[in-house]
Amino acid sequence: MNTRIMPEFDLLLPETVEQAVSLLDKYQDKASIISGGTDVCVAMKSGYRTDFLISLAKISGLDYLEYDPSTGLRIGAKTTISQVLSSADVKTYYPALWQAASIFATPQLRNTATVIGNLLRASPAGDCICAVYALGGNIVLQGAEGQREVSVDEFWLAYGVTARKVDEIAIELNLPAPVKGNRSSFKRLTRTNEDLAKLNAAAHLEMDGKKCKQARLSIGCVAAIPMRLEKTEALLKGAEITDDLLEKIVTNVGNEISPIDDVRSTAEYRNQVAGVLIKRVITQACCKS
Amino acid sequence: MSNFKTVGKSERKLDARGKVTGKTIYVDDLQMPGMLYGKVVRCYEHAHARVKKLDLSKAAAYPGVIKVLGPEDVTQKEYNNSVIPLMVPEEMQQVLGDIDDQKIFTKHVKHYGDAIAGIIATSAEIAEKAAEKVIVEYEPLPVYLTSEESRQPDAVQFVEGKPGNLAFELPEPVFPNNTMGWGDVDDAFEEADFIVEDEFYVPKQKQCQMEPNTYIAMYDEEERLHCWTSTQMPKSVQRTLSKLFEVPMHKFKLHTATIGGGFGARLGMILEPEVCAMALAVPGRHIKLQSPREEDWLTSPSRHPGRYWMKIGFKNDGTPVACDAKFVSYKGGYYLDGSGVAYTTGGWLSAMYKWGALRYKGETYFTNQPICGAFRGYGNPQTNFAMEQLVDRACNKLDIDPVEWRKRWHKDVGDDGWCAGVPLSSCALDECLDRGAEAIGWKDKRAKYAKQSGTIRRGVGVGVMTHTSGASPMLLEHTVSTVKLNEDATAVVTLACTDMGQGSHTTLRQVAAETLGFPVEDVYMNVDDMDAAGYDIGAHASRTLYVGGGSVKAACEDAKRQLFERAAGILEANPDDLVMEDKNIFVKGSPDKSVAAEEITKAGVYNFLNPETGGRDKEPGQIQGYSSYFPAHNSPPFGACFAEVEVNTETGEVKILEAVNATDIGKAINPAIAEGQLDGGAHQGFGFALTEEMYFDKDGKCLNNSFTDYKMLGASDMPKMTDILVENPDPYGPFGAKSVGEGGLVSPIGAIANAIYNAIDVQITEAPITSEKIVNALKNL
Amino acid sequence: MNNHDITLKINGEEHKVTVPANRLLLDVLREDLQMTETKYGCGTGECGACTVLVEGNKNICSCVTLAATMDGREITTAAGLEKDGELHPVQEAFIDEFAVQCGYCIPGMVLKTVSMLTENPNPTEEEIRHGLEGNMCRCTGYTKIVKAVQKASQIMAGSES
Repeated sequence: MNTRIMPEFDLLLPETVEQAVSLLDKYQDKASIISGGTDVCVAMKSGYRTDFLISLAKISGLDYLEYDPSTGLRIGAKTTISQVLSSADVKTYYPALWQAASIFATPQLRNTATVIGNLLRASPAGDCICAVYALGGNIVLQGAEGQREVSVDEFWLAYGVTARKVDEIAIELNLPAPVKGNRSSFKRLTRTNEDLAKLNAAAHLEMDGKKCKQARLSIGCVAAIPMRLEKTEALLKGAEITDDLLEKIVTNVGNEISPIDDVRSTAEYRNQVAGVLIKRVITQACCKS
Repeated sequence: MSNFKTVGKSERKLDARGKVTGKTIYVDDLQMPGMLYGKVVRCYEHAHARVKKLDLSKAAAYPGVIKVLGPEDVTQKEYNNSVIPLMVPEEMQQVLGDIDDQKIFTKHVKHYGDAIAGIIATSAEIAEKAAEKVIVEYEPLPVYLTSEESRQPDAVQFVEGKPGNLAFELPEPVFPNNTMGWGDVDDAFEEADFIVEDEFYVPKQKQCQMEPNTYIAMYDEEERLHCWTSTQMPKSVQRTLSKLFEVPMHKFKLHTATIGGGFGARLGMILEPEVCAMALAVPGRHIKLQSPREEDWLTSPSRHPGRYWMKIGFKNDGTPVACDAKFVSYKGGYYLDGSGVAYTTGGWLSAMYKWGALRYKGETYFTNQPICGAFRGYGNPQTNFAMEQLVDRACNKLDIDPVEWRKRWHKDVGDDGWCAGVPLSSCALDECLDRGAEAIGWKDKRAKYAKQSGTIRRGVGVGVMTHTSGASPMLLEHTVSTVKLNEDATAVVTLACTDMGQGSHTTLRQVAAETLGFPVEDVYMNVDDMDAAGYDIGAHASRTLYVGGGSVKAACEDAKRQLFERAAGILEANPDDLVMEDKNIFVKGSPDKSVAAEEITKAGVYNFLNPETGGRDKEPGQIQGYSSYFPAHNSPPFGACFAEVEVNTETGEVKILEAVNATDIGKAINPAIAEGQLDGGAHQGFGFALTEEMYFDKDGKCLNNSFTDYKMLGASDMPKMTDILVENPDPYGPFGAKSVGEGGLVSPIGAIANAIYNAIDVQITEAPITSEKIVNALKNL
Repeated sequence: MNNHDITLKINGEEHKVTVPANRLLLDVLREDLQMTETKYGCGTGECGACTVLVEGNKNICSCVTLAATMDGREITTAAGLEKDGELHPVQEAFIDEFAVQCGYCIPGMVLKTVSMLTENPNPTEEEIRHGLEGNMCRCTGYTKIVKAVQKASQIMAGSES
């Protein structure tokens, strides 16, 4: 590896989604798609190889971010983290995503990295992944045969592996329209403020007064892929959020996860602290109107 | 003392304009005609192995490759990347056991990333691809990451003559029983009312200067070997490379470049030997060697990690009757500063407090970690982390305010400093402590934080330090400077002192201008002409202003003396009675009769024979001042840092809320530049205490040689800093100045550790103090 | 590997270059065009020494940007902030506040500041520190850099009113 030198490949610059899809159809797993390209550049400098990079740079119309109170949020394949961050709608209706975007990597990378790119990375530490997983929604994939939608609940399959087939492009992310009593929040723990998460978590709650009607909790860095805390969600469902319940959750979360040691933290720490982080995201979500 | 013209003023940095526009040239920015590119092939398969077979033929055949170099294709002489051995007499090198144990390309891989071959090609990309064609077979050897492993009797020996892989211990002839100190420690402990002791771990911290390492070398048609480098120590590197390649010194031209940070990593050489070997292999061509960032952790020296055991006995009145300590460090694969850090770590311990008796042992063992060497503080951070925590533990038992205890027991003027037999020349630590305590609100906060419960707890802590200004008399300290007065009464100062960015050329210029009595704008610093500049040992031991400044001052006094002698002749006065204002010289009190400095400097150069008399009307000769300066002392500075932290007991998160760094600087030549040293030092000290450490897997592979996982504090992690410059002029330093380069890193370590202790009532003995360690410690309470 | 003909408008001047697919914007600037004010610091988009501005104000890391994807874009480097020998107020503030030590991070730091102050002319200290993430400095502890950003913000506010 050498961080000064990129290995060789052919760069393809299609001008329409259809052209991109047909290139993918042609080259299959010999090609990778890039938008900002930051992740791929770093990966290629550290050993990842691909024959073709298909850049979305010349395809117009994919960098949209559209909110509709009845249908929800649509985020295009080229929409950057910075665009998410400058959206008042995201901040108001999808605070978990906005909060994840606000600490995502660095300002420079937020200007080039895309939300969909982060989802496709399928890293258990992905901050946008964590937020989107809790918020729920669909990812629109386009292949030669047309489009299909995959729920975020079925999108991440293994470390670095998603439900996207090699000849498909992830073209859009849809987040559902917020229902009444909708709350969400994201938090993470890091070694320094600018860092990859050693633990991240998001909560998406549907509240009726102090009572929680529905809950989706996601947590990262505790398995090969980000995970939902379904047992803890069940504790919340239909319950009033009290200090006692939160303390019960703090102890329960540790039983639902089986993290490992890595360079950023230890299994022991993650086990002990994951519940605290979940308590924080629930509390933070509830505090926000 | 207040009538200085420029000393004491925050004059703009000389180099700032070039740097804000990016026009300043670093080595990597240089492009030479017909330049070739070098690549060092490194071992990333093993941290300890022998090279059984090395086949470079496929790499050599790769299109665009000019030459490949294996271990036998370059000089077989061994060398030492550190230049410390040049600083002591050869007999002392023998006593210390300093050795040369590095080879340009090795057949015995001693750490992850060790160098095994070289490639020279027409582009960096080609060299990189050719490197992939190198075929190597290794015989793996057991990997020893700690001294506990490498010291075992059956361990593979790293070098001959260092049994048990003990690279260095304090040598018996100088340090009886291999110990440093005084008094009978065992007896003294008998008098103690209580003892505090613990074993500490100090981390492998990396300098992480922002400029990666790039070099250019060329062997020219006049058989001169050129090397462009950002070393901190050009003259010492020139001498070392000249010996290594058997090129006489006048045939070796070292080109200093802008240094993008040093902090000790460039104290000596990094890849200069490799690039020079490449240049000698392809005469007449410039070779550029660009080491990528990830190699910096593996090829340049880090701070010495290791285990530090310390025991202190106290009487109930606070008297520290005895201190017993042992620092065992993990040297890494090569010797470098083997003797230096193991010694100074104890030196700093001996210099801080009035121990009734002291016994320090320092040992360092070869391991299969990347190399260790100099890093800002040079052993002092390790001592500070252990010593300052134990002192606070004792203060808690004694129920004494840690500030008051330190004021009572720190060493003072007349006591020995870090070097036995050299008494402290000045000390303003009490004022540092008083003003620092006031600035952070010490008394109120200590009272407020004494009893806390709940998840969020705050703490405030103090750490103190003493360091040095140059390494005299232990090591050679010598700087030569010349100052030339131009015809128009402007001055050019020539010397070899480097500026790593901290601003030393700016402050040296202020010293020159003040001494000459010229405006700063009239002084040019000629600092990049190593053929013209005389000897200077290089930037280390916080010496540049203290020793370099002493030299510049002496050279400028010499020039000014000559100027005044000539003026005295013209004015028919005694030179001692003269003064200069606005570059006019006159007898003090009689400005009406004056002579312009320019009249003298011009006449010295354009000096014609008088056709009528056949003689010279004015004194001929261009005035040059000269100094070959050896300082008389090492004027240790002192300092106190105060830090306030917030700790979350559920998650172990630590936030630094505020910090005050107060230093006993003697005299601040340029206050803003001095503050910059305290700010940057604190950043590195906080990093040592909280986040910075190189990690390895069991096979010795470094797991975090990237900014992704080697975590330095960012802008948002750093607290608001208050810097306090305590001015108490030192009798030896130029204009009373003492050093400020390194000490600012040291006391912040103790301050943070003690602030965390104050917050959570438990001490973390392993640095960095991570959230994981805090949570663990609280769980085990 | 395929080549791409691209046009970059750098500091107001148009440059037509042919780049191989894997050419990074950083290397086009430094090696092909000899604009060495943009620095290689880490190559992985962490340190910010390679920061440039795109389309006037968007700060990005040129070390992880493929040049061929930047065809037709406007790029500003630190050298481009100086106009007719006059430094940009941000550059002046960095000099005045002694925010410059070794200088290696400074071109990127200055560009980040310009970008930050354009988006948010009057940032709080917390916003400044958060915004400076992605630009590493090992010399200053960020103390005087934060002061320089504050000062630049004041100067620029003054010159606009």
